[in-house]
Amino acid sequence: MHPTTAPAPSHLACAHCGDDCPEQPIRLAVRPELSFCCQGCKAVYELLDANNLCRYYAFDEHPGQKVQAVELPGRFDYLDTETVQAQLLSFRSDTLARLTLHLPQMHCASCIYLLEHLYQLNPGVRESRVNFLRKEINISYQPAHTSLKEVVQLLASLGYEPQITLAELGAQPRHSSRMLYYQLGLAAFCFGNVMLLAFPDYLAVTGQLGAQFGRFFGYLSLVLALPVLLFSARGFYRSAWAGLRQRTINLDFPISLGLTALFLVSGFDILLQRGPGYLDSFTGLVFFMLIGKWVQQRTYDALRFDRDFTSYFPVAVTLLTAEGEQSVSVKDLKVGHRIRVRNQEVVPADAMLMRGTGQIDYSFVSGESVPVGKVAGEVVYAGGRQLGEAVELEVVREVSQGYLTQLWNNPAFQKAEKQTLESYANKVGRYFVAVTLLLAAGTVLYWLPRDQAMMWRAFTSVLVIACPCALSLATPFALGSALTVFGRHKFYLKNSAVAEVLGRATTIVFDKTGTLTDVKRSAVEYQDPTLTRREQQAVAAVVAQSTHPLSQRLAAELPAGALPVTGFREVPGQGLSGVVDGLLVKVGAAAFVAAAGQPELRAAGSATTTDHLQSRVYVSLDGGARQGCYIFRNVYRPELPAVLSELSRRYRLAVLSGDNDTEQDRLRELFGPQAELRFRQSPQDKLDYIAGLKRRGETVVMVGDGLNDAGALQQADAGIALTDTLTNFSPACDAILDAGSFGQFGTFLRFTQDCLQVVLATFVLSFVYNGVGLGLALQGKFSPIVSAILMPISSLSVILFATLLVRLAACKHKL
Amino acid sequence: MEIIFGLITISLIVAVFFLLAFVWAVRSRQYDDTYTPAVRMLFDDNEGPAEQQTP
Repeated sequence: MHPTTAPAPSHLACAHCGDDCPEQPIRLAVRPELSFCCQGCKAVYELLDANNLCRYYAFDEHPGQKVQAVELPGRFDYLDTETVQAQLLSFRSDTLARLTLHLPQMHCASCIYLLEHLYQLNPGVRESRVNFLRKEINISYQPAHTSLKEVVQLLASLGYEPQITLAELGAQPRHSSRMLYYQLGLAAFCFGNVMLLAFPDYLAVTGQLGAQFGRFFGYLSLVLALPVLLFSARGFYRSAWAGLRQRTINLDFPISLGLTALFLVSGFDILLQRGPGYLDSFTGLVFFMLIGKWVQQRTYDALRFDRDFTSYFPVAVTLLTAEGEQSVSVKDLKVGHRIRVRNQEVVPADAMLMRGTGQIDYSFVSGESVPVGKVAGEVVYAGGRQLGEAVELEVVREVSQGYLTQLWNNPAFQKAEKQTLESYANKVGRYFVAVTLLLAAGTVLYWLPRDQAMMWRAFTSVLVIACPCALSLATPFALGSALTVFGRHKFYLKNSAVAEVLGRATTIVFDKTGTLTDVKRSAVEYQDPTLTRREQQAVAAVVAQSTHPLSQRLAAELPAGALPVTGFREVPGQGLSGVVDGLLVKVGAAAFVAAAGQPELRAAGSATTTDHLQSRVYVSLDGGARQGCYIFRNVYRPELPAVLSELSRRYRLAVLSGDNDTEQDRLRELFGPQAELRFRQSPQDKLDYIAGLKRRGETVVMVGDGLNDAGALQQADAGIALTDTLTNFSPACDAILDAGSFGQFGTFLRFTQDCLQVVLATFVLSFVYNGVGLGLALQGKFSPIVSAILMPISSLSVILFATLLVRLAACKHKL
Repeated sequence: MEIIFGLITISLIVAVFFLLAFVWAVRSRQYDDTYTPAVRMLFDDNEGPAEQQTP
């Protein structure tokens, strides 16, 4: 079934991607009821239609991806090179090649359908299998009939351009997660069987059946519990040991202590035939705690956050040698190499522009949307994206020495080493150990003069009951469901520790450009004589031909009319010109637009065409007969005042801007008198400022977007990257927030605070269980049967309690 | 009542068989992706050319 067109003619949704169509949508000749927003979408539809794959549109409404504007050929040429293929392909023979690609655009059932039917579009593809949760596709193809490049080109033409980056080329460790399944399966198997064997003890029937069964069952349980101790529980011992080596005590330490005590006591009891032991509790504890780990892992397995700048850099670059063009790996670039960077390609290393006009889009680096013009002789920093013609550059610094890489190598990035992830659970765990050991010592002192056998029993019981199993389940289940709730609102957290930090935050620091301002939505004003509708359409027709962001922004603003353009010419960095219906239209910089004999405009234009918050595009029609200019003003996100007024009541706020202070008054008004506003901040300044706040004991949350915020994002206790398109690259951070959900940011923070309350409440609950058990243990009344009842009840009730309360909190905040 | 020893042993062997089946399932990647197969089974592979074209 095809999607039906929307009733309102002005808001026609594109049949492919669902975006709003222009006023005169592009129609299909054979099926005029379908409208498309652009030629790209129409092309994809026609391709799918021709190959009988239109069921793509049946599984989800408007599943399509907006296809990028025309690409220059040769963009995927590097995929033909031997070194890249050797790194990408997981299997290779003359008849078959196999590889796994990461497709961040994958988002619905329709995507799965289309991607698994690639063989209908390219007969050389043997099979393609999707792993939706990981957003990966595994493709097998016949090298005799198609090539890697063709496969990737096909994917890109459908709107699923694979993310092939330096980082992807490394070894892909994929199998660590399976270990947990083995551990969990083994624990479940042993737990079930040990519980069955312990069942006669619960009913106290062993007495009648004779001691022989008891002994047999005991030995069998011991045999079954041994693999649980050695294999399933290995993770807890490892983590406790790692903590000890760093001279900290984490929650896994008391867990390991309790587990060891449980197993040893049970082993002695069974071997010395003193009783049935606690092996059912032991295996059960391990099983439940592994479930907690599994839940934790599942929540954020799908998100791959560990991207660094290498995920953004291209894999290969076109090297110019005496023999001609050659595709080489970026890692092999040396100082003095000549490279060619085409339209939409990223400059991989700091380099000097040798030939061509650079239009470098640094939006990933600085958040600034307007490209920066560069002329021959100027140095272009790595990370910028070239728009327009192909340019030749000479590398001045190797990739590993570049400006961005230097920024990245700042000590702040060794975050893995530092203990920001000091979670509540670990803090509580430390006191827990102290209290347990004190109590155990107390029982020894109390019973020693009275009853030696009782002393031994009470001492081990204390260690056994003190195992903080329920405690270890509280955080994964409470914050795990919180992460799921956030995920539904397009706020993705790296792990549950980030949720804790957000709940404890005291200061929130914002970057300005791209974070507070909306790069996509600039306000367009027109100055000077108003144009007729027809003239506007003529301008629109010309700017629609260009891929420059300002042109596209202008095209979206003006009434569209598919007027034919003749003699179109684009001078990169200068402007466009074209003839529409005999009317000469020139759009661009003042100097480009101005006809001879209009010096005043030329002078005005060359002074400032781009200042920090506004950009101007000049228009002249009919050789200067009518002219004016469009002013693009960056606007603040519309949700900003509401979000800020909510946040300023509860947090200290600060703004760090790389720009000058022209906007100071407006920001002051938005942020209130207490907020700290800092301008002209370099990436290092931002990083230092946050480090200073942390030294004063603040818990800092940084919200930024560009790569130049990356240092500050890492330095902060929690770094949140704000992004307009989730599939785009965003700098390394602890959380990613979709710009569309920015309005709910205040609600998110309040929700995390509630979740922390839930965690604390769950801690109290689990302490109650531990307290009851301890009370019994101190009196020497703790028996295997009490343990067998108390243990599953405490674990299950903590799981239920944590999950339900978080859901309740989510409902309260309407999340 | 000696039969209990035999029965327990047999039940354990059966249980070990299921454990091995689970290990096999994990090894054959059935737990790597628990979402896509549920969607994949909804696709008709032998779809006719015309019928799904009707809106």
